[in-house]
Amino acid sequence: MLDLVIKNGRVVDGSGLPSYTGDVGIKDGRIVRVGRVTEAATTTVDAQGKVIAPGFIDPHTHFDAQLLWDGAAKPAIEHGVTTIVPGNCSLSLAPLKEEHRMKLVGMFNQIEEMPLKAFEQGVVWDWETFEEFVARISKDLTVNVAPLVGHSVLRLWVMGNESMHRCATPEETAKMQELLRECLAAGAIGLSTSFVDSDEKLQPVPSRYADEIELDALCEVLSEHGRLLQIVHEFYDADLTVARVDQLANLSLKHGITTTLSPLFVNADDNGAVDKVMNRVREQMAAGARVWPQVQTRPIDISFCFEVPSLLFIRLPSWYAIMRFGTHEEIVASFADLERRPALIAEAEKNNMNALWARLTLRQVQTDANQSLVGKTLQEIADMRGQGLIEAMIELSLEEDLQAHFLSGDMGHNDNAKVGELLADPFVHIGASDGGAHILSFSTYGDTGYLFANFVREQSALGLEAAVKKITLDTANIWGLNDRGQLREGFAADVTVFDPATIDRGPEYYVQDVPGDGSRYVRDAMGINTVVIGGEIAYTETGGYTDSRRGQVLPGPLQRP
Amino acid sequence: MGTSHSQGLAPARKYVRPLPEDTWDSIAARELTQLPAADASGVLQSWNFHVFMRPAPPEDSPRAGNPILPSDIIFLEPPAAAT
Repeated sequence: MLDLVIKNGRVVDGSGLPSYTGDVGIKDGRIVRVGRVTEAATTTVDAQGKVIAPGFIDPHTHFDAQLLWDGAAKPAIEHGVTTIVPGNCSLSLAPLKEEHRMKLVGMFNQIEEMPLKAFEQGVVWDWETFEEFVARISKDLTVNVAPLVGHSVLRLWVMGNESMHRCATPEETAKMQELLRECLAAGAIGLSTSFVDSDEKLQPVPSRYADEIELDALCEVLSEHGRLLQIVHEFYDADLTVARVDQLANLSLKHGITTTLSPLFVNADDNGAVDKVMNRVREQMAAGARVWPQVQTRPIDISFCFEVPSLLFIRLPSWYAIMRFGTHEEIVASFADLERRPALIAEAEKNNMNALWARLTLRQVQTDANQSLVGKTLQEIADMRGQGLIEAMIELSLEEDLQAHFLSGDMGHNDNAKVGELLADPFVHIGASDGGAHILSFSTYGDTGYLFANFVREQSALGLEAAVKKITLDTANIWGLNDRGQLREGFAADVTVFDPATIDRGPEYYVQDVPGDGSRYVRDAMGINTVVIGGEIAYTETGGYTDSRRGQVLPGPLQRP
Repeated sequence: MGTSHSQGLAPARKYVRPLPEDTWDSIAARELTQLPAADASGVLQSWNFHVFMRPAPPEDSPRAGNPILPSDIIFLEPPAAAT
């Protein structure tokens, strides 16, 4: 007797080979049969007209904190995602000494736009080591988690505040190596580092103070267990990205490790930039290195209100400082100050930014008086009020007690032909969703649905089988998840059943479901029928989430001799 | 300088990784020997706006006045002209 059989579907097994009509049989958390299954099962799912695929793997997320109050990383699973990789960009929640907790929270708040209150009210800090953290999250997991350990966190543990000022000594480097060994032994899938991020004081994060010797030493440890290095690089500049590709290639070749850099964007003003990077990737791959650039599927949208510092204002230092460091009352006072306002307006109008402001759409207000403006562009609102663009944005924000929410849509990475070409490229790793981060700037959920809706159905940039392979077996192979990503006998039973004609991401909307009365933007899934994790049904389109808790930490603790 | 296994790779913009205590002046003196010393730091800064333009370290930082980080890429030539 099987536990579960999924019958009469179109089996897209993750290999990239043509699909076929068949069944998938599951027992004890493993796939035991693919093809025609005649054996009886406790539960049967009818997949007539649907695709049966391996569960999707999301390799670039920041669900670290959310996993402490939500072991399903909602809404990732309902979008067909069965495995997530948190701990990217040099930031993980372990290993972490008690005295460094608020420092790390500050970095998460600044870099990943995670609310401070969510940490204050959603997190019980009862771990320090990576092993303790793994034990903590393992208690209540629905989704599989393949956690990276952050380089900045390793430095904080070993060097304390000195990690934010200088290179490590040989003794400190040796301690970091030993600490990384312990993390890998406890179940970390690799190491993440950052060459671009800044902390809550707008100073470089600790990983940026590491020299070549330190990173090389840490990669030596990754090599001992065949684990991966992830970096976030200077993605705004092609020459810098090429230099990082070369750096990663050297580390890959020297230590025999896989490396990945994220994100790689298409710049609408300069398609040649991404070609330059990809040409270098191809050269380095041909030379034997493993350097995987991650490309996200969705175009860049950013939402904001004046209450929360937004990355959209990072190049307007006066504005950003007000939003970043001010209390609610101070922000209101700063924008209401008519003497200060001309300077703020002048700063916002520099560098031809008026085109961006004009296209903003008002997406949400809290007063009845301004509801009729929702959906209009800032240009339309300014014209109606007889105000300048920035004046209108400020006045509206003050009228709404800072709760006027604007959307800057289609800001980049929106050239369908070019992005489609990239996503189909065998040297591109589909990822960089940032799931669980930037929660008030944009919804980081639904990239997989968008892949099928836009790039398979609409653009025909990839075939169905190729798209499934990209986010299942390719990802599993890159990350060394050796029994995931394919519908194959003996493999872990992570399965996503979806309707190829309707799979998509729903509209972005605002919810208040974050601890500490926090909010975020999310998207519902469309066309995802059933999601199986570890052999149990975790989500169905009709019934929602089940009580299943079969998620695992991957690749899991090393076997001790 | 640049990639260490550059054989067979297309030419890329030349760069160095800074030494731990490097400053604009020390890199310029070491790498831009063909330029007059008085000009070299300014030229180096103009090729590396990604470092030059970053927020200054605070006054009480051991790095006060020096924005260069050990993990930086410091270019030794201008960007290639657009083709």
